[in-house]
Amino acid sequence: MTATTIIAAEQDQTPTRIQSVNRRILLAAWRMPSFRVGFFIFVALLLVSVVYPEISSVSATKMVVKDKFLPPVLLGEKWVWEHPLGTDQLGRDMLMRSFIGLRYSLLVGVVTVVLIFIIGCGLGLFAGFKGKWWDIVIMRITDAQLSIPMIILAITILGVSRPTVPTIIIVLALSGWPLYARVARSAAVTERGKEYVRGLRVLGAGDWRILLLFAAPNILPPIAFVAVLDVARMMIFEAILGFLGLGIQPPTPSFGSIIADSRKYLINAWWIATIPGIFLAVALTSINLMGSALEKARNRIYGGL
Amino acid sequence: MLILEFLGKRIAQGLLIIFITSLIIFTLLRVVPGDPVRLIVGGMAPPDVVEKVATKMGLRDPIIVQYGRYMRGLLQGDLGQSYLRPRSGMIATGGQYIDPTKSDMAPVIDLILERLPFTLQLGGMALLFALLMSFPIGIAGGLHQHGWQNALAFGVQSLFVSIPNFWLAIVLILFLSVKLKLLPALGYQGFSYVLLPAFVLAVEIAPFIIRTLTTSLGEVMQSTFIDEARVRGLSRRRIVYSHALRNAAVPLVNLLGIQLSTLIGGVLVIEYIFDYPGLGNLTVVSVVGRDFPVIQGIAITTSAVFVFINIIVDLVAYLIDPRVEI
Repeated sequence: MTATTIIAAEQDQTPTRIQSVNRRILLAAWRMPSFRVGFFIFVALLLVSVVYPEISSVSATKMVVKDKFLPPVLLGEKWVWEHPLGTDQLGRDMLMRSFIGLRYSLLVGVVTVVLIFIIGCGLGLFAGFKGKWWDIVIMRITDAQLSIPMIILAITILGVSRPTVPTIIIVLALSGWPLYARVARSAAVTERGKEYVRGLRVLGAGDWRILLLFAAPNILPPIAFVAVLDVARMMIFEAILGFLGLGIQPPTPSFGSIIADSRKYLINAWWIATIPGIFLAVALTSINLMGSALEKARNRIYGGL
Repeated sequence: MLILEFLGKRIAQGLLIIFITSLIIFTLLRVVPGDPVRLIVGGMAPPDVVEKVATKMGLRDPIIVQYGRYMRGLLQGDLGQSYLRPRSGMIATGGQYIDPTKSDMAPVIDLILERLPFTLQLGGMALLFALLMSFPIGIAGGLHQHGWQNALAFGVQSLFVSIPNFWLAIVLILFLSVKLKLLPALGYQGFSYVLLPAFVLAVEIAPFIIRTLTTSLGEVMQSTFIDEARVRGLSRRRIVYSHALRNAAVPLVNLLGIQLSTLIGGVLVIEYIFDYPGLGNLTVVSVVGRDFPVIQGIAITTSAVFVFINIIVDLVAYLIDPRVEI
């Protein structure tokens, strides 16, 4: 029997069927309509952004100057079916550009959060479990890192080095880990004093064995559920960097750079700025709906209600 | 006595944090590629001139030596001088050569102090707007956990958190300033120029306040002392405003301390979009121009502000609820 199920059994006063806590949280979240709405929108966007650019013959970067500033279908004059969401100042298809932008946005968001999770939780668990000097040193670095706003750090690094997808991900991850380190550390400190850890110590288990095999499965899932919300945050940061010209570089479209370029044509061609923004906002809403549903479910289950 | 001890300890910790921050930024700036000298002397200058200027500016010394020199200045209140901005206020371009080692460059501390009030004004207004927006929604949502008010709070919060700030800024500029001509947007010529950027920032912060307020008020309302207050016959208004809110405020105050870095990050982008003459705008311009002393100065300033506000936050939390450990 793993440690997770022990906890689950403790919380269920009348255990009808023993289920792991994580399964119960996922199930509780799934029962919320907001989670399902978010989930379906997210899956739809994900599929469409992965599949559509592969099967469509329209290019996101090909410029057709005679087709520039075509408005979206049914809005304004001169629209054509070939470009359902219109074209930009260089005659590039907005739909395709938005999908490619979405692709990179999701990629950066998800990978960054995974990295942040690994770095932050790794350091936090280690600090909390080892205690003493390790704890003090790691946590002071965390505090210092927290006190530099992430965006300043990110633009400082990206502003002076060349932004590519890997560097963007690394920079965002570097500036995002401290909060996770804090949360993981405080969880690890509580976990350290628990009965089962002391039991394991008596049995002669080493620090690493306890930490990785027994404590981590208890500490990490609750943090992971909330990490979903951070995917949205990282996607916003990616867009902000693109907007400042420090994100994915043209001609590859990214939401931030499309919106930044479109500012000049705001009055004549409002859709160039609006459409990527709406795409981004819808994607973020879907992620946030899932994230907050998971968070609610987690709080409810851990609250024992 | 307890408070004095707390202050002493926290200020010492704060100084340590600022020290580490400055070290991180200082090293990062010098480790990542991008030579400020190249920008100062212009692209056409021969390499030996670049090397000469760099040596003269001390940029070829080991990082630790440079850092020691910088810290010595910092202790005397000297943050160094900008590489790019002369005292007159013009930005030097690659074409005209201004010797950055001479004293006619603007001191970083002046640049920062000149802009800090603008940024504080913007941040303060944004916080005020955010509180005005989120208190009614958050309190209603917290009091009616199963009613439409809670759903509204949840909806508003999910929506607001999903709107990218720079996009909202552009859309608002388009509608409110360009089309309807209601509010001025770009630059700064008076108080009315703060309103639009402050509103955009408020939309960014409000969801966090709403969420914390809803959850913490909801929890407090279920506790026994609220039931007991009802038994004592206190009016609902009294219970909510003087008993429940006070207890629900502690997580809120803590949250403001944590969200401060979001606020600062938001300020940076918003100032850049609205061309607002604050610290954020200065940061973006300095990063693009690799103006090391200014970037370092700003990083140190923000981390000092961060540390200072977090000390205040903990003090306020303690004053609201003496059970909180400090």
